[in-house]
Amino acid sequence: MPEHPLIYLNNAATTWPKPPEVTEAVQEALSLPAFGTGRTAGTEGTDYVSLAREKTAQLFNAEEDEICFTHNATDALNLLIRGFIEKHPHCHVLTTALDHNSVLRPLHEFAKRGDITLSVIPIDKKTGTISPKAAADAVTDETKLIVMNHAGNVTGAVQDVRETARLLHKEDIFLIADGSQSAGHIRCDLKSLGADAFVFTGHKALFGITGTGGFRIQESRSEEIEPVRFGGTGTLSGNLYQPREMPERFEAGTQNFTGLAALAAGISYIEKRGIDEIHEQGMRQSAFLISELKEEENIVIHNEHPKVHVISFAIDGLCPDDIGFILSRKYGVVTRTGLHCAPLVHEAIDGGHGSVRMSLSALTTDEECEAAAAAVREVAERAASSVRSA
Amino acid sequence: MRLLQSVQHKACADGTYMKEYTLDEPLSADFFEYLKHFGRVEALEALGDGYYNFTKEGWFSIKGFAGDTSVEVRFTRDVMDMVSGFLRMLFLRYRPGSGQNGADIAGLKEKEKALEEQIKRMKGR
Repeated sequence: MPEHPLIYLNNAATTWPKPPEVTEAVQEALSLPAFGTGRTAGTEGTDYVSLAREKTAQLFNAEEDEICFTHNATDALNLLIRGFIEKHPHCHVLTTALDHNSVLRPLHEFAKRGDITLSVIPIDKKTGTISPKAAADAVTDETKLIVMNHAGNVTGAVQDVRETARLLHKEDIFLIADGSQSAGHIRCDLKSLGADAFVFTGHKALFGITGTGGFRIQESRSEEIEPVRFGGTGTLSGNLYQPREMPERFEAGTQNFTGLAALAAGISYIEKRGIDEIHEQGMRQSAFLISELKEEENIVIHNEHPKVHVISFAIDGLCPDDIGFILSRKYGVVTRTGLHCAPLVHEAIDGGHGSVRMSLSALTTDEECEAAAAAVREVAERAASSVRSA
Repeated sequence: MRLLQSVQHKACADGTYMKEYTLDEPLSADFFEYLKHFGRVEALEALGDGYYNFTKEGWFSIKGFAGDTSVEVRFTRDVMDMVSGFLRMLFLRYRPGSGQNGADIAGLKEKEKALEEQIKRMKGR
């Protein structure tokens, strides 16, 4: 076991700890029967599904009926991509080299089956982002869909979704933005972002628990996605077909009441702290970590100006996996190492070698950042002296 | 030295299977010196009492700190069942000083060779 207190810097995977109100909401949700609308005659308790929808809509400046819940972001992306392809078979789809396997794998599977043709837009090496012009240039007569991340889980770069949407909407191309790493870190005003659909997950910066996520889809664009899940919605039960209204169009089966109670509480915490304050704190702490790491000549930082609270680095001569092991065992600093489910990003930034990622949350303290920076610097210094003495 | 028990295990993102074992005595630099007969050893000697990573390509890797009584082993999944006996043997047959003298190395090399043949046959199927 580590000799040091746990310093958890793997929040881009799943945030920990959770705010106390999230733990309390989970306990409360489990202490009473579920009172979800349409599935019980009881009215005594909270309808967590409606509460979470209301909170999510508020956070994203969206309408409640535009919010659909799923099991996580990957689930939401699969549902949206598959539903779009059912409506627009054999179309051409664009994605980007910055995207996660939750986007790349479904799209490559559909391409392999011959259901779509696929183009991957490369990363602009100067900016570390996807140029909206490059996206527009990749459009063909058959292009109907682009799936792109909003914020990157490896470099913390934020994409210009608004400009990409502006250019691609001229060709009536549907844009799905993956907000897994942006929701809860930066202000996501979905009325102005321009994405037709925006995917989020509950268990990262929104401070919910695993097993929750969803998407916001503009109601006027919802018919571009065929429902691909069918079942009980607690509404229009005499109808043997899936309701086409939102959000039932995409929600079938009993919801994760406990998870949605946690999500609602997590969003309440973000509202209480204020998204701008959370962002400012994360940027200040990220800048501190980067400035500390830059002091060591043998540390390579993959993006010195992340726009969300993610720092990826490598130490010359050491495998990322070894660095992660040493940080965890000797210093109690938990990071994530390897390819981070984003193989194309790593191909572009480090030849597919992988990196060590430190990712912060609104609950990361300055003291934790100081201890983590000292630990990484010490490992780098020892690595340098070992290399020199070898 | 003996592997006492696996106290933790999980599937890793790189496709390997990780097991953390406790040991009946602390790891030493000499133990990793001995392992060099069977694979590649990388060391960060300036970190604490020394950090070591042994890799037997395609079979398993062993990570640990000198002085600690636990190691992390990552198995290549498709050969895990075949090579875990050899892993135990590597620990069991180590004697302090064998890093230099290689007391039981010839016997282990024979086992290693036989196992390599078995794996080759299994993969060729």
